[in-house]
Parts: sequence; C-alpha cells; structure tokens
Amino acid sequence: MNVVFVLMLMVGVIVETIQKGGDATLASLLAGANNAVTLCLSLAGAYLFWMGLMGVLKKSGLMQLLSRRLRPVIRFLFPNAGEASGAISLNLAANMLGMGNAATPFGLEAMHLLNKRNPTPTIATNEMCVLLAINASCLELLPTTLIALRQVYGSVAPASVLLPTLLSSACSTVVAVILCKVLTR
Amino acid sequence: MIAYIVPALIVLLLVWALIKRVNVFSAFCQGAADSLPLLATILPCLATMLIAISVFQDSGALEFVIGLLEPLLAPVGLDGRLLPLILLRPFSGSAATAITTDIMSRYGADSLVGYTAGVLMGASETIFYTLALYFGTVGIKKSRFTLPVALIASLVAVITGIWFSYLLYPF
Repeated sequence: MNVVFVLMLMVGVIVETIQKGGDATLASLLAGANNAVTLCLSLAGAYLFWMGLMGVLKKSGLMQLLSRRLRPVIRFLFPNAGEASGAISLNLAANMLGMGNAATPFGLEAMHLLNKRNPTPTIATNEMCVLLAINASCLELLPTTLIALRQVYGSVAPASVLLPTLLSSACSTVVAVILCKVLTR
Repeated sequence: MIAYIVPALIVLLLVWALIKRVNVFSAFCQGAADSLPLLATILPCLATMLIAISVFQDSGALEFVIGLLEPLLAPVGLDGRLLPLILLRPFSGSAATAITTDIMSRYGADSLVGYTAGVLMGASETIFYTLALYFGTVGIKKSRFTLPVALIASLVAVITGIWFSYLLYPF
C-alpha cells in the first residue's frame, strides 16, 4: 500500500508539474483533499443513521443472537472472529444487497472488534485480510445502484445485468476466498 | 423488491426492540455517537488516498498508461472504450461511475459496450479506497497478502465480467 501511494503521488506531482506547472499541481492536490471532506460529509449522514440502527440492534440483543446463529457459517471463513462475527455478517449482508453506505460502517466496526483480539496491533490478522478480500471482490446479489443507473440511461430491461454481474462477482469472490484459505494456512 | 426488504427489516427491528423493552431512542443515539470517532478517523485516510489519486489522474499519467496498454489489449478482443473504466475502477468509484454513465449516454445502456460497462461497474470494487479505509481506521500498517489477493480477485471480475456480458447479452 505504501509503495503504491508514494508512486502515485510522486509520478503525479512530477508529471503534472512538468506538463501543466506548479499551480496546477497544487490545485490537484488540494482538490483531492477537498474531495475527501465532501465525501466524508456525505458519508456522515449515512453513518449516523446505520450506526444508530446498529446501536438498537446491539441493545436489543439481536446482534448477539445474529452472531451466535451465523457463527457456524462465519467460522469457516473467520475461525477467530469472536465477538466481531455479528458485525461481519451485517457487513457481508449489506454488501450483497449492494448497500455500500451501510456495509462500510458495519465493516469498520468489525475491524475494530477484530483489532481488539489482534496480538500484533500494526499487522493485519488473517480474519482482517479475509474480510478485506471478500469486501474487495464484493459478491452482489442485487446491484441496486447499477440498475437505477441503467434505468436513467433508457434501458428497456434495466435488471438484465443481474445474472452476469452475479456470476462474475461470484467468480471473483470464490477466487478471493480460495486464495485467502491457501495463504492463511 | 429490495425497496421493501430494508424498510421491513427496520420495522421488524423496532418491534423486536419494543418487545425487549429497550429504550430505542437512547440506543439509537449511542450508536449514532459511535459514528463520530469513526468519521474522524476516516477523514485523514480518505484525504491521503484521494490526494494521491487526484494528482495522478490530473497529471495525465493515468491516460498515458491507458494509451500504452490500449494497443496491447486490442488483439485480445477487448473493447478499448472499456479500458479507462477497468483501470480507474480500483482507484476511484466516482470516476468509474462517471465513465460508465458517459459510455451509457453515448452508446446506449443496452448497447454491448454499455451493458458490459454496467456489469464491470457492478461486479468490482474500489479496492484501494476500501483497503486504505479499513486498515487506516484501526492503524494496521502491514496488510500482508490483502492487496495482491484483492487485485487478483478484481482481475477475475473483469475477465469473467466481459466474458459473461458477451455470453449473456440479451439484446
């Protein structure tokens, strides 16, 4: 990650300064930071709402119930998830429904809980790697935003992308899980 | 369908909470309060990643890489119009959405290229952003095998996405 970051930043700064001058480079850098602020603000509402619901979920004992019920399934992928299994299952469920805004706070909560059990705090545990790999391959049952987008652009059958999307995201998830299983052995 | 599932789940949750005699108002407040430290840790991670992406994109370095790859991939049968989308997708969700909408409005959502662009958009994820965010919030510095696995998985999504779109194209 570090190498990728430095490389992108360095190549970007050098190339843009040569081609468009220093002012343009500074403008691009600040535009990136501004994007982060706007994005964070637009995420804030969604996070407040979903984390609020998660608060109710926890207080009512449903989260623990969910964790206990799903533990056999979760255990296969996350043998050492512990109390994080509830948050993990919520994250996976939201991902599958194409609700990225809800998946992220659940996923971050799961990361926090996983990190509590992490014996080496700056190094990712197996569970964290698997959670990220599955999130990155994003198995989607209902690509809701995509269907809406196709509808806007005049598709006669907006939901016709369902099958190819499902199949290819299933392929990439399977590959990610297999790779993780091999690498965590 | 989906439009009804989530609201129904929310109502069910509230009913359950009432049965369990939970103070829903304070539980919701507490949960929502937890999102503030989360947002505070997210912002620096987001800014770090987005600054690098922004300057890399604006400098034209990305287009240069795309230009280099285009003649290499044309013989394989890959539509060159999809290349910017494929290469940008791991870095920036908004840029990928912009390209997808551009392709859809220009060639039609139901054209093969518009259809494939949609599938690629739906079947892949902004992995660099996700990784930076998830690991950044808990202070993980060594992500071990996560990045290579995520990259391989998204490559698989691209290849199978193009293949399945071609195979299952309904129009």
